Amino acid sequence: MAVTSATAAPPKEGALHKLRGFSTGFWFMSPAAILVIVFFFIPSVIIFGLSLTNMTTATGFQNWEWVGFENYRRILEHPDAGPIAMRTVFYVVATLVLFNVGMALVLALLTTHVPKRVGFTFRALWLLPRITPSVIYIMMWKWMASAQPYGILNRYLPFLSSSNLLPQAPWVFVILTNGFIGASFGMILFASAIESIPKDFMNAALVDGCTIWQRIRYVILPAIRWPLLFVTTFQTLSLLTSFEQILLLTDGTMGTEVWALWAYHRALNNYWGNLQWGFGAALAVILVIIGAVAAVVYMRFFQFNELVQEPRIDTL
Amino acid sequence: MSHKAYALLALLTVLALGVAACGATPPPAATTAPQEATAAPEQPPAQAAEVLIRLWAQANDVEHWRADGPVKAAAMVTDYNLKVEGINDSASWGDYKKKFTLAADAGEGPEIVLSGHEDVPVWANAGYIVDFEACKAKYPEFDDVIDSLWDSGTWNGKVWAVPQDTEARPMYYNKAKLLELGWSQDEVDSLADRIANGEYTLDDMIATAKEAIEKGVVEPGYGYWHRPSKGGDFLQYYAAYGGRIYDEATDKLVISQNALLEFYKFQRRVVDEGITPANYIGTESNIWHDTVSHGQALFWNGGVWNWSNWAKNFVADEGGNDFLFSFIGYAVQPTGIRGKAGVTLSHPLVYMITSPKTSGTDLYDESCALLAKTTTSEINTPHAVDSTHLGILKSQAADPAYAQDKLLSETLYMLDYAFYQPNHTMYTPWFDIVYDGMLKAENGEATPEKAAEDVVKLLQSELGDFLIVED
Repeated sequence: MAVTSATAAPPKEGALHKLRGFSTGFWFMSPAAILVIVFFFIPSVIIFGLSLTNMTTATGFQNWEWVGFENYRRILEHPDAGPIAMRTVFYVVATLVLFNVGMALVLALLTTHVPKRVGFTFRALWLLPRITPSVIYIMMWKWMASAQPYGILNRYLPFLSSSNLLPQAPWVFVILTNGFIGASFGMILFASAIESIPKDFMNAALVDGCTIWQRIRYVILPAIRWPLLFVTTFQTLSLLTSFEQILLLTDGTMGTEVWALWAYHRALNNYWGNLQWGFGAALAVILVIIGAVAAVVYMRFFQFNELVQEPRIDTL
Repeated sequence: MSHKAYALLALLTVLALGVAACGATPPPAATTAPQEATAAPEQPPAQAAEVLIRLWAQANDVEHWRADGPVKAAAMVTDYNLKVEGINDSASWGDYKKKFTLAADAGEGPEIVLSGHEDVPVWANAGYIVDFEACKAKYPEFDDVIDSLWDSGTWNGKVWAVPQDTEARPMYYNKAKLLELGWSQDEVDSLADRIANGEYTLDDMIATAKEAIEKGVVEPGYGYWHRPSKGGDFLQYYAAYGGRIYDEATDKLVISQNALLEFYKFQRRVVDEGITPANYIGTESNIWHDTVSHGQALFWNGGVWNWSNWAKNFVADEGGNDFLFSFIGYAVQPTGIRGKAGVTLSHPLVYMITSPKTSGTDLYDESCALLAKTTTSEINTPHAVDSTHLGILKSQAADPAYAQDKLLSETLYMLDYAFYQPNHTMYTPWFDIVYDGMLKAENGEATPEKAAEDVVKLLQSELGDFLIVED
């Protein structure tokens, strides 16, 4: 919404002009708006509707009943709800801070401060986990972590236990497998943002005697605040709802079941097949609410309104 | 937000709820009895129009007869002119079941579907399948099915499915290592009987495995390798300590607290005693198969169907079947209570006839005729032998092809010690909760006592009136 108001023509008198302005904005917005409505808004409403039912495989789509907020009451009283919520927070924060933003920033800074060809090659290599099919990627990790004589890690790192490493430190593997993939997204955005900072700024900072840390703190970070907001918001929401690697790595065992995986197991895939669509939908609705709140908080924290302000040069 | 925006929001909400609610009213036609079976024509209708029957089965390469068997059997049906389109789906069970339920709700399912017997109550309640009583009564071929196997397809007092295969889950042991440990040949040869009659218990197994490690016969942690991933196998140890899953009289699920605690203690003990590796669950399945099929573990539990996989995919170079038979012995699972018989879990797969709403056709009689010709030794034995699954027919033990299969003929008796998982709509959450508790106990995330206590609370919270808690 803020984008349209920012890019709309300056207000002029007359109903016709107003209508024309609205119409132009409408057409510019409509592709994105249709996508959001069809692929987010309507599914969210349907999921909310489902969450108010007792629908399961056993009821089919024929024999279900409205149960009001019963599924939400069950979640609130569920002994696993608290621990799973805490795990989800831990998983999102740890992966985000250590990899998806932290490691991505470090990689972007490193690869933009070495010769261009070297930086490009390194970034291309870092994309390998992302372009490897998830099943193969996770299978490689599982074999690496296996007990001797199969495991690579404990063969070449003798200080590690010789038994299967995955159950000994499941979160380490969950965060590493997600992080190596997730970091590449931010790395590319940050690197391109850093490279687009005018050289004059950097040169001026050097002339002023800035240390590398001062250049990062006072030149680079302020200049990449927009991609920082985008990557942090996008990756938070992505981590909140992603469970692919966890599913393949541990299937939520060893204390690694996160909220999205809990919803998936209940609604779409459990061992003996009686899927609880109503209960799973309620779990998903809670995730949607948390995601929306997180997005708003991020926008306020990063002062989104200032970031999308019309460039001052145009208003002179 | 403007009025227009509110109006749009309201409109979309109504639309979405309308979509969600459509079809909420009509009761399922399929949960009622199927249409009366009509008498088959006396003469083969040579001129009759060809009828297409679609059949879905979940199967890997060695289990291809699940769909190919009915395709072959179609030629033997004389009542109708059938063409069978059989699909062997190698997707995971979860994906396969999901595919069927979504197709069923869209009216695009097959006329016959194969799945685990535990789907009978769920799919019958949803109206996806119709009961099998009329079909069972119509053809004499069904009289040959082992009587107890019909129980696995029974729900709400009616038979809903016909068995396709079943299996036992033995406790395998390494006979060569036992001899190396100092056992006499007689002791090794009689082990299966001693386990079956409750003379040799889970405690004895732990003691033997510990001794084998102490004497260097097997490596530490290689005394006992149970299944490395989620599965019904673990219920065998709950049952070995006297645990009940289901109360038929009240149609409720049961949790036996003492048996649950003993089961969790056993799973923890095997780690504490060093006969199973710490942090073992989660071991990659191919590593597990490779290890046990090469005789590195002293005891391990698996299914009879694992055998063909080991022979073809893991020890083919060493001699396949001959190599395996040279050192592997098999018995039912030892009891946890001395003197009580051993147990094994059997999990029959069953063919079910779908409802007209599921398939969009009304071919009960034709499907029934096909399943009758499928339920014969001629069709079923190739599947049993190729995939090392136990037979489902009384006459099968005498079939030369079956009788000559050493593993199948020597494990058929295990069906006398078998129990099934219950046909109950709430069994899925029951199993998930009990398994998760076991995992916590074995991995040391919780003491067995705490894990058992939490599981009972969780079951009460999730299952409510569907659960009986007993000592």
